[in-house]
Amino acid sequence: MSGGGRLLPRLAAGRRKAAAVARITIRQQLAYRADFALRCSFLLLILFVFVQLWTAAYEGDREAVIGGFTIKQIVWYLVFTEALTMAGSPLAAKVEEEVKNGDIAVRLLRPMSYVGYHYSSYLAEAAVRFVLHLAVGSLIAWPSVGAPDFGFGWLGLFSLSFGAITVAFLLNAAIALCAFWVEETSGLQFVLQKLQFTIGGMLLPVDLMPEWLQRVCAWLPFQASLYLPAKAAVHPDGSSLLASAAIQAAWIAALGALVAYQYRRGARKLHVNGG
Amino acid sequence: MLALRTRGLGKTFKVKRKEPGLRGSVRSLLRPEWEEKPAVRGIDLTVGQGETVAFLGPNGAGKSTTIKMLTGILHPSFGEAEVLGLSPWKQRSELAYRIGTVFGQKSQLWYHLPPVDTFELIGRVYELKREDYARRSRELIERFELGPYLRTPVRKLSLGERMRCEIAAVFLHRPSLLFLDEPTIGLDVVVKQRIRELIRESNRSEGTTVVLTSHDPTDVEELCSRVVVIHHGGLLLDEPVERMKRDVLNRKTIRLTTASELRESELPLPEGTNAVRKEGRTFTIEVDLGRTAVEDVLGGWIGRVRIEDITVEDPPLEETIKHIYGRRGEKEEGA
Repeated sequence: MSGGGRLLPRLAAGRRKAAAVARITIRQQLAYRADFALRCSFLLLILFVFVQLWTAAYEGDREAVIGGFTIKQIVWYLVFTEALTMAGSPLAAKVEEEVKNGDIAVRLLRPMSYVGYHYSSYLAEAAVRFVLHLAVGSLIAWPSVGAPDFGFGWLGLFSLSFGAITVAFLLNAAIALCAFWVEETSGLQFVLQKLQFTIGGMLLPVDLMPEWLQRVCAWLPFQASLYLPAKAAVHPDGSSLLASAAIQAAWIAALGALVAYQYRRGARKLHVNGG
Repeated sequence: MLALRTRGLGKTFKVKRKEPGLRGSVRSLLRPEWEEKPAVRGIDLTVGQGETVAFLGPNGAGKSTTIKMLTGILHPSFGEAEVLGLSPWKQRSELAYRIGTVFGQKSQLWYHLPPVDTFELIGRVYELKREDYARRSRELIERFELGPYLRTPVRKLSLGERMRCEIAAVFLHRPSLLFLDEPTIGLDVVVKQRIRELIRESNRSEGTTVVLTSHDPTDVEELCSRVVVIHHGGLLLDEPVERMKRDVLNRKTIRLTTASELRESELPLPEGTNAVRKEGRTFTIEVDLGRTAVEDVLGGWIGRVRIEDITVEDPPLEETIKHIYGRRGEKEEGA
């Protein structure tokens, strides 16, 4: 079960385990129909407010361009960032709960990486919700600003969304794993969420922010989880797509190393509660 | 061949000390004080393959902490352990393929899904071949009689049904060593009995080594050949269950409520019994099974005492442990 010569079979086995976790997560998700419905209606409400707000800002002019965005681009941009934001599951709360009630024991007893388990589960849940949220978001955006005829933009959106969800997972995992040391992670989670909302580009494309803030955002991981895929969708451009993918890859490597280090340190001092 | 061996294995927890009240909370926030709390104080233990060993001890004795260290999910503060030739906390993942663990108070089943979905996941995670998984799950479903509720969401199962699924699930990957932490906790007598039969059957037919913790002496008597009593984080006793039954678990407590007021001297008590307490019309009587049988005591009352209620129980574990300490003291004095 170990040894460098068996790397490929190990990777294949890891992929099969991840797929099994993804399948069962989706099955369990389907049991939460009320939660799905609630999230979708909340999404409809938020997008309705945004459409009203931006229609006022553009004074109803479909040709007007603000900061490089027409109203159609900005509304669809918001559909994409909202669909991505609301796709993520509350990882920190889940891990904190597992540590508090000792259920983490059951996960650690499996021949599977603990972080890998949560990643498979997070990814599966996010993929289902993302697609569903896109469909629901279209119900508002399409009649208000027109069809999402972004051509290659869709390719940009879907190819960068995988990296975006991975970056969002790693940011959340870095906070979730703090539960191995401290009793409460909700404060940190609150800060992370607000950073994603603002400098992550959820409420406003980074291009519309002041110059100095844009320079700060460029050096932070938050834009990789929301701004980059949504921008690639409404402003398709081959070279910036590659640059965006490279930025995401760099952040995945850096945050992945941080999370792996945290887990190694944390597992050593983790106190598995409960009899 | 050894299933596990520990040498001086121990765990100390650092616990924050907090004075009561708001002032205590503020002080603990500004200047936290830590206290070292020993949970397990250096245990030396050897278990051979195929053995059935019980860890017996009251709540907080260190049984679960020991199991957690042996399964690799808790890093010890000191000492060594080798489980199936591996270091549990350093080779946790490799060890996971070869051991199975059930925590009576934690569930591995997905709450909103039927047990068969969790079985399927376990089959994948332990890398069972498809046909092997199909054969093995069929066999366990039959043996554990899970057919009727295999497709019912776990949240709708009774505790007994759920426990049967939990234990069947742990056998899927054919572990050669099984850790059962309070597998019968909270179950009624009939279900407890069935769970014990199933574990015993699996131990016999598959030669699985079983390490079980419990604070129910009946679990120990019926399932295990060897008992290890843990108290205050240390080993108090390690001997065959037969000997423990003869020397320590040789008492029963009878609680008798009479229909009318009766003085203690009016109650017939044969040799080997001792009335330890009388509250109102209820007597608590301790019976030494080495000297008299419960039925003889009861037989002596029939027709002479008007009985309103009667129960026969094992003495509380704390009493048994006190008895072991007493016996040790006698031995040491004699030596």
